[in-house]
Amino acid sequence: MIRTTASALAYLVSSIVAGLVGLVWSLAIIVGVGLLSITLAGGPAFLGAAWVTRRLADLERHRAGWVLGTAIAAPYLPIEGATVRQRVSAVATQPATWRDLAWLVALFPLGLAGGIAAIVVTVVDLAAVVAPAWAWAVPNPRAPFPMDPLMTTMPGRFGLTVLGVLLLPVTAWFLRTAGLAQARTAQVLLAPGAHRYLVEETTRLAQTRRRVVDAQAAELRRIERDLHDGAQARIVAAGMTMALAARKLPTGAAAASDVDLARRQLDDALTELRRLVRGIHPPILTDRGLHAAVAALAGDSPLAVEVRGDPDDRYPPAVESAAYFVIAEGLANAGKHADARSCVVTLARTADTVTVTLADDGQGGADPSGSGLDGLRRRVEALDGQLTITSPPGGPTVLSAELPH
Amino acid sequence: MRIVIAEDLLLLRDGMVRLLTDTGHTVVAAVDNAPALLAAVTEHRPDLSIVDVRLPPGFRDEGLRAALTLRATDPDTKVLIVSQYVERAYAVELLADGRGGVGYLLKDRVTALDDFLDAVERVANGGTALDPEVVRQLFTRNSHNHGVDGLTPREREVLGLMAQGLSNAAICTTLVLAPVSVEKHITNIFAKLDLPPADDANRRVRAVLTYLNH
Repeated sequence: MIRTTASALAYLVSSIVAGLVGLVWSLAIIVGVGLLSITLAGGPAFLGAAWVTRRLADLERHRAGWVLGTAIAAPYLPIEGATVRQRVSAVATQPATWRDLAWLVALFPLGLAGGIAAIVVTVVDLAAVVAPAWAWAVPNPRAPFPMDPLMTTMPGRFGLTVLGVLLLPVTAWFLRTAGLAQARTAQVLLAPGAHRYLVEETTRLAQTRRRVVDAQAAELRRIERDLHDGAQARIVAAGMTMALAARKLPTGAAAASDVDLARRQLDDALTELRRLVRGIHPPILTDRGLHAAVAALAGDSPLAVEVRGDPDDRYPPAVESAAYFVIAEGLANAGKHADARSCVVTLARTADTVTVTLADDGQGGADPSGSGLDGLRRRVEALDGQLTITSPPGGPTVLSAELPH
Repeated sequence: MRIVIAEDLLLLRDGMVRLLTDTGHTVVAAVDNAPALLAAVTEHRPDLSIVDVRLPPGFRDEGLRAALTLRATDPDTKVLIVSQYVERAYAVELLADGRGGVGYLLKDRVTALDDFLDAVERVANGGTALDPEVVRQLFTRNSHNHGVDGLTPREREVLGLMAQGLSNAAICTTLVLAPVSVEKHITNIFAKLDLPPADDANRRVRAVLTYLNH
């Protein structure tokens, strides 16, 4: 109780100084950065001012902690950007920057009022408690009632002491309440706001989604490998054993046709498995990457397909997988529905995006909400990508997917 | 015939060794990775190497790349690639030097024992053996190459069988044609694909290559 009251008193009184510093600093930077902003030094000046403001605000968070029990958490987002302009924009778009400034300005009147009230209340109460020690020294014959009897008579002075002691809890309550009120106000402006929580939540969600998509791509590759090395290999081995057994049968044996049938059934199973694997994750995509896989697709397509892009470029597995299926579906659609004869597939990479574009010479009129295209859209959007389709009646159809990597 | 096998799955490696040994061949080395294949071929100088496309350590196309390396160092190296899937791109890479002595088959074909042994013989003797599946993939698309466009359906059929590596006699049997007409078709194909007379085996490989690249 005594400690918290002392903390509140210290907080309120030191706020007078802090408020003064805050006001002077705020005015200085508003004027200073405002003037410098018409020169080239504006950006660095702004960043410097923001840096110092953040340190002052950190001090305020720490000070409020005297009353709140724990210091207020810092609300800042990491400042990213290579150029001064980018960094200025990163700082300026954070609400925390302006909330810091608002607090430093508001602290002056709040701190002054709270600090003076705290000093007055504390001094008056303590003075009443020690009244017998000093009240005799200030005789005042014209003092009004009840000051006159309280200050001039011995019982009065001790009565004042009793009154002061009785009022001590009230004084303490006032100091704690006023301190807490001011610290809570500081908390409203200085604690992490909804903005930071939203930004953090979005980042977290994007990361977990990315991990899910990556895990899925890895899983597809694993399934493909397991099918090849497990099921397919065993069937081939069984076929070999059967072929050897067939050789050992006497010529014209009755079982020969059965063995031959069984061998053909195994072949069918293998063909079916191969078709399945190709649908899940074509081996050449793992072996040689997107460009080779697209070249293979182009080779199998009934259209004349031209593939553009750097053939040696490799992308993250999830991107390669999604891009492959966009192209496979796009080529199939161009042949089936658009009645196209040729198609140009372009694979381009920028700093953070892989763009896949298919342009055909068909009759257009593709329905972007059709089930095939909708499936593609969902696959692309799972990677935070974007699928755009332009397909006016009469053509041509251009399908474009942007995939961040 | 002395053979080296490179296959990482024990089950298939043992099966293939058994199969080839049973049919009178000698497997001089059976290895499970690409570096070991290079070492074994250098050491044993086999008549033929049978190589899986996918080998450790990367499980991508190490086997194919090792085969191409072997043929680049020694043009007489004969390689039969076996794989659980076919890609035309791989067939093109194998045939690109136009020399023959290469084959690319699905592993399933091993179970059609006589056809498989036939392909083994053919490749070891400098011919080619392409999987019917590769050839079938080619038939599904329109051609964009004028030379191939000019072929009649019958000539395409003959070229398809040539691509698989069949001899004139085998083509006669398959298509039920007289040897004279098969030869006439082949002459027409060479002419239409603009392949001047040279060594005949070489011309066959180049015709197949033109077909694959169309």
